[in-house]
Amino acid sequence: MDCRDLTALAIERLTGEADEASRRALSEHLARCESCRREAEGLEALWATLGRDADADVSPEFRRRTLGLLEDEMRRGRVRAFRPRPVFARPLLQAASLAAAGALGYFAAKGLPFAASPAAVAGRPSGAVTPMAGAVTPTAPGAATGAVPGFEGNPRLANVAYRPADKDGRISIAFDLTTRHEIDGKPSDPEVAKLLAYLVTHNAENAGEKSRAIELVSEHFSGAQTAASPEIVAALTKTLRTDANPGVRKKAADALAGFTMTPEIRSAFLDALKSDKNPAVRLAAVDALAAGAKQSPDASTIQSLREKAVDPEENNFVRAKAASALKAMSF
Amino acid sequence: MEMNSGSDDAVLLERIRRGDTDGAAELFERYAPALLRFTDRMLSDRASAEEVTQEVFLKVISRAHQYDGRAGVASWLFAIAANACRDRRRRERRAAVVPLESVAEPRARGEGVEATIASRQRREAVREALADLSEEQREALVLARYHGMPYAEIAKTLGISVGAVKTRIFRAVETLKARFSEGETSWTAAT
Repeated sequence: MDCRDLTALAIERLTGEADEASRRALSEHLARCESCRREAEGLEALWATLGRDADADVSPEFRRRTLGLLEDEMRRGRVRAFRPRPVFARPLLQAASLAAAGALGYFAAKGLPFAASPAAVAGRPSGAVTPMAGAVTPTAPGAATGAVPGFEGNPRLANVAYRPADKDGRISIAFDLTTRHEIDGKPSDPEVAKLLAYLVTHNAENAGEKSRAIELVSEHFSGAQTAASPEIVAALTKTLRTDANPGVRKKAADALAGFTMTPEIRSAFLDALKSDKNPAVRLAAVDALAAGAKQSPDASTIQSLREKAVDPEENNFVRAKAASALKAMSF
Repeated sequence: MEMNSGSDDAVLLERIRRGDTDGAAELFERYAPALLRFTDRMLSDRASAEEVTQEVFLKVISRAHQYDGRAGVASWLFAIAANACRDRRRRERRAAVVPLESVAEPRARGEGVEATIASRQRREAVREALADLSEEQREALVLARYHGMPYAEIAKTLGISVGAVKTRIFRAVETLKARFSEGETSWTAAT
């Protein structure tokens, strides 16, 4: 095993997920690698520290209250109370609905202004809608099939929901924009990628939604053969540099770390290492830069890591990580 | 993880479906301790954790007929709890945070004042560190660390892939490492 695999393997050992071969490989490596041994001991100490958090107990009062509630609910469940509706209400409501539908149909046929002719629809200026490469299913009745509204003016997409990738790698993103839309496709489809990048950069009001968009991108492109689109790289590097939420910045760093290193990504990591206030983000930058420099060492990365390794103001762990990254590189 | 055999649990749910109050009480006795520990760590607030745990059991009663047996009952319960915690946090995001000092501490039997303070500080350090993780990372880490749930089970519970579980736990540990290595809150100091 490689020193870089240490954390992942040590965690698997702590969670009981490591198989016999992994455990043996880890033990053999630890027997001959002093720095990894220290790192593994640190992880075990961290795991033990987490275990010192006292468990919440079910108090007698909580038990009494909850069992009382459950009993009431069970009783209500047996005799479910409904708002009784008069027996004659249903046929009357049905008749009223039919009448309303008939009236609407009549006016539409008469050519009143709200009924657009097929010719008018066909003649709609191009650019009013943006065709999507993935299968697009507007779920609202009457919405244009196969198209979603453009994002001119950077509208906010509300109620964004994701469906993880299916066996074919297709994801689904649903959102509200005048009507409900559901976009289904692979994250590598250019238009789906554009939508993901849009969610990361423009739907920034909610860190949770943003994090989910980044996670989706990360899960799909991390270690994949297909390179992430320029829009996604630009969105993530911008997020890493400017997002106010350190959790979101860390997430962007983690996602970028899974991509093939490019000058743009390297530059964003160098900026993060230099000036991000959060040590976890700087740590992610060290890891990513070190991994990138192993494949193709570059002067600015090595210089930045050297500076960090001896910076007395830097967080101990980031400093140690920078030093160990330099040590692991072969020049 | 303290799980019962799937068939036992399924029988219990069937009893709840039929309106058997004792079945609901039995399910509570079986899972309330684990669910309360989970919600307490997810929300960092004992009062909210109790409310959400109650909600989980109430939802189980009203949705017992929806359980399709694809995942274990324990996974199903934790999935409901994780969703309820997310909803709660979303609702309370802008509300004032309850200071940790106001959270009732479990009584430390036979401990002196100093030991109690040290134990409280450790708990606070760990709670703050967990609270700073993203919701996704915290869910995965709490299920793995405190509930001993296998990755495959966590994946079913959270509706994600095993790979995503590994990634979330890995990132959570990396974040905690960086946090505990800072100044006075080093993990060795916290132990």
